[in-house]
Amino acid sequence: MRYGSWVLTAMILSLLVPAGCASNNTVVLVPDPDGHVGKAEVATSGGKRLLERPNDMTRVSGPTAAPSPVTTADPAFITATFADALSIEPLPAEKFILYFHTGTTDMVQGSQDMVPKMIAAIQRRRPITIAISGHTDASGSTLLNDRLSSERARFVMDLLVKSGIDPKRMTVSSHGKGNPLVPTPDGVAEPRNRRVEVVIR
Amino acid sequence: MKTVACGLLLMLLAVSPSYALPVDTIGHIHSMKGTAFVHRGSVTLPATVGTALNRGDLIRTGKPGAVGIVLTDDTTISLGPNSELALSDYTFDPTVGKFSLVVRMVKGTFAYISGLIGKLAPDTVHLAIPDAVIALRGTKLLVDVQDPG
Repeated sequence: MRYGSWVLTAMILSLLVPAGCASNNTVVLVPDPDGHVGKAEVATSGGKRLLERPNDMTRVSGPTAAPSPVTTADPAFITATFADALSIEPLPAEKFILYFHTGTTDMVQGSQDMVPKMIAAIQRRRPITIAISGHTDASGSTLLNDRLSSERARFVMDLLVKSGIDPKRMTVSSHGKGNPLVPTPDGVAEPRNRRVEVVIR
Repeated sequence: MKTVACGLLLMLLAVSPSYALPVDTIGHIHSMKGTAFVHRGSVTLPATVGTALNRGDLIRTGKPGAVGIVLTDDTTISLGPNSELALSDYTFDPTVGKFSLVVRMVKGTFAYISGLIGKLAPDTVHLAIPDAVIALRGTKLLVDVQDPG
């Protein structure tokens, strides 16, 4: 960890209210939903431990002692301790991508066919947030593309509202040509970038 | 008169940061069981699915109680029963490249999954637990904080 991070860590540590008696805290690293395993560093004023393998575990038992040496958490311990927190985890996001004909808010046929499926998924899942973002390819001016991406996003929002979906759940953003799915040089027409993304959570 | 104007200006400058702080929604409660509350300043709101969360909110679950929250960068945190989580700091502004995420796990059980801030600016992400701070490189963590009281 870099020096700057340590300064920040020290600042945050100094904010902690000293506990009246020794704490007993456990930190376990587990794989992401996609199977990837990251890293976590647990630091007290007495030392630090790096967790880097699946189910690596350390315990913290006071402000001045270093965290305990890294062990492997027993799956039975994980279930017994974290069953409630794990059972309430929100569903992962679902994403739909709708594609458009060049320069227009006319959806390509395949995307028109997908709209009823997307609406059915939203009605089934009752998401808390629906993020709608409009995009264009890199042909044409920035000004034109900013307007077009906004019109595409609005068009999809209107479709959802007409289907009876609560607009209060929706956020709309437009990115012009600035956030391509497939990066291209400026001026290049790329059908995969002429799109609206709908992410439901 | 000049002094008064100057004093007023200083007062305005002194308070202006509070106006500059975004009070926008930083996430929502997406799932819950049992009872839970959101403490915002001196106000206590009963938590429900869909409750919007602000920076600085403290979330408490009852017994029984459990909640799952998602922040706007897709960071996901779930709390088991008798747990307490403070959303101490949060900045997610990709257009200007400003990020930070500091949460305090005061007591209880937690499952934490990194979001976009963890991907784009991992050095700004800190989970504080009593007596320790956790720095992360994009991952999922389980944390148990036993109530010392």
